[in-house]
Amino acid sequence: MMRVSKILEMAAANLKQRKLRTSLTTLGVIIGITTIIGIASLGEGFRFEIKQRMQSGFELNVLIVFPGSLTAGFGEPFTRSELDNIRNISNVNLATGMKTLASAEVYKENGTRLRALTVAGVNFSEMQQMLPKRFIVAAGNFPSENDTNTIVLGFRAGTNNSIPVVDVGENVTVSASFQVNGTKFTHNETLTVAGILVEGGTAGITNFDYWAFIPSEKAAEMAGGESYQIILIQINDTQKASQTAREVENTFTNPYRVSVFVPSSFEQQVDNILNLLQIFLTAIGAISLLVAGIGIMNIMTVSVMERTREVGILKAIGAKSRTVLSMFLAEAITIGIIGGLIGIVTGYGVSYGLASMLSSFIQPQQQNTLFSAPEREPLVITPKFTLEWTIGAFIFAIIICIIFGLYPARKASKLNPVEALRYE
Amino acid sequence: MSAILEVHDVRKSYRLGGISVSALSGISFNVMKGEFLTIFGPSGSGKSTLLHLLGGLDRPDAGKILIDGSDILELGDDDLAQLRLTKIGFVFQFFNLLPRLTALENVELPLVIAGLSERETQERARKMLKFVGLETREKHRPHELSGGEQQRVAIARALITNPAIILADEPTGNLDTKTGREIVQLMKSLNEEKKQTFIVVTHDPQIAQEAHRTVHLKDGLIETISENSPQARNQ
Repeated sequence: MMRVSKILEMAAANLKQRKLRTSLTTLGVIIGITTIIGIASLGEGFRFEIKQRMQSGFELNVLIVFPGSLTAGFGEPFTRSELDNIRNISNVNLATGMKTLASAEVYKENGTRLRALTVAGVNFSEMQQMLPKRFIVAAGNFPSENDTNTIVLGFRAGTNNSIPVVDVGENVTVSASFQVNGTKFTHNETLTVAGILVEGGTAGITNFDYWAFIPSEKAAEMAGGESYQIILIQINDTQKASQTAREVENTFTNPYRVSVFVPSSFEQQVDNILNLLQIFLTAIGAISLLVAGIGIMNIMTVSVMERTREVGILKAIGAKSRTVLSMFLAEAITIGIIGGLIGIVTGYGVSYGLASMLSSFIQPQQQNTLFSAPEREPLVITPKFTLEWTIGAFIFAIIICIIFGLYPARKASKLNPVEALRYE
Repeated sequence: MSAILEVHDVRKSYRLGGISVSALSGISFNVMKGEFLTIFGPSGSGKSTLLHLLGGLDRPDAGKILIDGSDILELGDDDLAQLRLTKIGFVFQFFNLLPRLTALENVELPLVIAGLSERETQERARKMLKFVGLETREKHRPHELSGGEQQRVAIARALITNPAIILADEPTGNLDTKTGREIVQLMKSLNEEKKQTFIVVTHDPQIAQEAHRTVHLKDGLIETISENSPQARNQ
């Protein structure tokens, strides 16, 4: 049997013989691989960026429980015993309640209103344990257990354009108003600023930049006793997040009483969507490679016809059909290898170009809603190259070349030597 | 002398535009080992068809062809290719060299197909080119060689595997008389020195009588098989 090295050598010589034709055929493969690699690495970069943002916006081991449901509307706040039931679930490491004061406002002593949009009563030590990377003071300290006349401000509630507007130790007034039977009551409370939280930055449910926190005892005193609008749950095993969420729901007899937000499943959903998007875009790349394959088939069929006599000679001097087949297939594979390698390099180049173009399109949005702070950093997508995609695309290129090269190569190998020799 | 090639009642027909045309209608003869045999006849007499069958390029419709003892009808395509590679050398009227390859590479080709090492194929091809007197032309491509030189390269290629039988289809048909004679002389000397069997198809009576025997073919049938006198051979 003919040596593989010799077959490849002859294939390369044959391809060199027809430079223009070979380069144009290879160009098809290059474009296909460039598209696949470009899109894939861009997609991977995008996914990485999104994931990172999600992870900085959410603690994946923290579940957030709201009273009520989307279908039944917001319900009554949770009671102490409902919180205790949740604490008894095995995967729950820690559960803490937050009591938000409706339409509470915070004023400085000189009457200036602070940008604290939400005031919540919390257990400070439990909150620190719950969100150790986020619930940190930038200035001052968290108040001790017995220190109930204190307040901790979110970064933007205590600063204006990063310049502090309230000092630690200063007194502020929290004004909470509520209605009982149509009559409006206002409860004012003067508290000392114990600390100011670090900046949350990116958007997320647990971004507290526009929040103010007071001890839960104080909140209970100001607005109708001990109850919680939000329960945060820290779980031991993130893998069992959804299961734990169901167990939380099961501690309530009425399923509409509770909604559990599971950040990890949210992340999963986003990941699934990104996956689909990436598959869709890569499929477009694959189609262009398919078109390249048809180009290879076309050119090779012509080439086989032109070289009919050559095939006849080879067969006459003793080449087996198999040998002729592998000689032609080697040409297709060579195109695949060269096109694939060049395509990988240009794909990387193109993805960088596309990334900087996309990044300049996606400008940070300015918005001041409750949960999302204004974006500080523009979205920067950096292409990510994975070995899997690179190898996968390369192998795909070669497979396409083999599939489409097989027909003309077989055609060559099946030629009748006598007729092939007679061919002019 | 034993027969290296046995042909028994071989028939072959072609379909030409839906009509079956009989090219060979029952041919039988033997070729002895070391013999120089010519197949002579006008064009259309079935000479080339017969030669293709003898070389295992094609299979007969009926009859039996034994090449060095093996029946080509019983061989599969791969075995037939192997037989062509090891036992048969072809020389064609139009030389049939690969235009892209140099003289040396053309001569090497059968050994390359056989999978021999590069060192061995080159060494043997050089020796063979020297043997046909073209040692200075090994780097030349076919279009840089004269007709006679090209045919020498083709003969070197046919001989490189040291085959038992060399089949030549009008080897001088595309050459001038003088060069044609040189090629015939080369084949004759190879036949004498190496004791290789030569079967040469020709329509040139001058060349036909250079052989030990001549098979006269007409309309797909053997007219006669003539023995040529040594005097006629050495003219």
